[in-house]
Amino acid sequence: MLPTPEVKHIDYDTVYEPSEDSFLLLDCFEQELSFLTTKFSTTIPIVTEIGTGSGIVTTFLQKNILQKAIYISTDVNPHACKTALHTVKVNNADSESEKSEKSKNEKSTPELVDICQMDLVSAIRPKIDVLLFNPPYVPAGEVPTIPNKEDDSTWLDLALLGGEDGMVITWKVLDSLDSILAENGVAYILFCARNKPDFVANEMTKRGWKVKEIIQRKAGWEVLCVLRFQRL
Amino acid sequence: MKFLTTNFVKCAVKGCQSSTESFPLKYSDCQLVQEEQEYNPEFLVHMLERLDWNAVIQVARDLGNDSLPPTKPDSLDPIMEEDQAVLKDLHTLLVETQIVEGRMTCNNCQHVYHIKNSIPNFLLPPHLC
Repeated sequence: MLPTPEVKHIDYDTVYEPSEDSFLLLDCFEQELSFLTTKFSTTIPIVTEIGTGSGIVTTFLQKNILQKAIYISTDVNPHACKTALHTVKVNNADSESEKSEKSKNEKSTPELVDICQMDLVSAIRPKIDVLLFNPPYVPAGEVPTIPNKEDDSTWLDLALLGGEDGMVITWKVLDSLDSILAENGVAYILFCARNKPDFVANEMTKRGWKVKEIIQRKAGWEVLCVLRFQRL
Repeated sequence: MKFLTTNFVKCAVKGCQSSTESFPLKYSDCQLVQEEQEYNPEFLVHMLERLDWNAVIQVARDLGNDSLPPTKPDSLDPIMEEDQAVLKDLHTLLVETQIVEGRMTCNNCQHVYHIKNSIPNFLLPPHLC
């Protein structure tokens, strides 16, 4: 089993605490290791996680799955951006034993992760090769508006509440997937059963996407899954 | 924010999406910090393939560096001594140079974005969303 990044330093009143959904994504990528390394064996992919939160998933990928990649992850929440950057740094500060281990093995790569505060991928120059998204998937009356002050108490709501069917934000991403994703790109998006992932998969297949469920798990009273989207 | 990242971010304003002026952004009042990173010349050669070289030159110039070659160095060989020097310089610039504080201005709409504590902020005020 690949090591889980350390995320002990976080203020969970302002940043989403890694939970079953985050860990399902880590397991999903552990499963996808050979698929992704094969797919990007000759190029350096651009990897973006939307709504990176604590940064645990981005860090896990950078440390364990795609080391030779350029990461630009985003979050609207300023607290999440700071936290995610910190998570990356903490987990890349090697101990002496790790360093000597590394020099014995192949040359290590620099840590190329940046965290940008933005709405979804609005300021990223296309195209993205690997897109990950653990969306605000909880069905709610409406999607919360982005606070205009840093000390607002509602930042965390943005990580959770997804409007009708919990799908309002996810559809924004799916609807623009064609312009975001590189020709050979791949997107991983997490769903709960109330998001009607079967319907989403059908709809996206109709639009010309190859959709595959990578992993599924019952977490408390929720059933979570990760779908993978690629062009046909 | 690493220098490298300037090659992958543009103005977030919708109306600027089709404009060639919205990338790269113009960098000003920047405070730079060098951060030591693993040097891997083979990786660097591959990474160069992903870059828009004109944007690299433009941003480097914004930050006061006029020394880059006008065309992207290609077929660099990490074994050759003169190529080693080029790669080492590129490593220092692209990977190790961090913009800790600064301003980014869109050359199309003139909107100004800020970088604080190494984090660029591309959130737009409601009237521009």
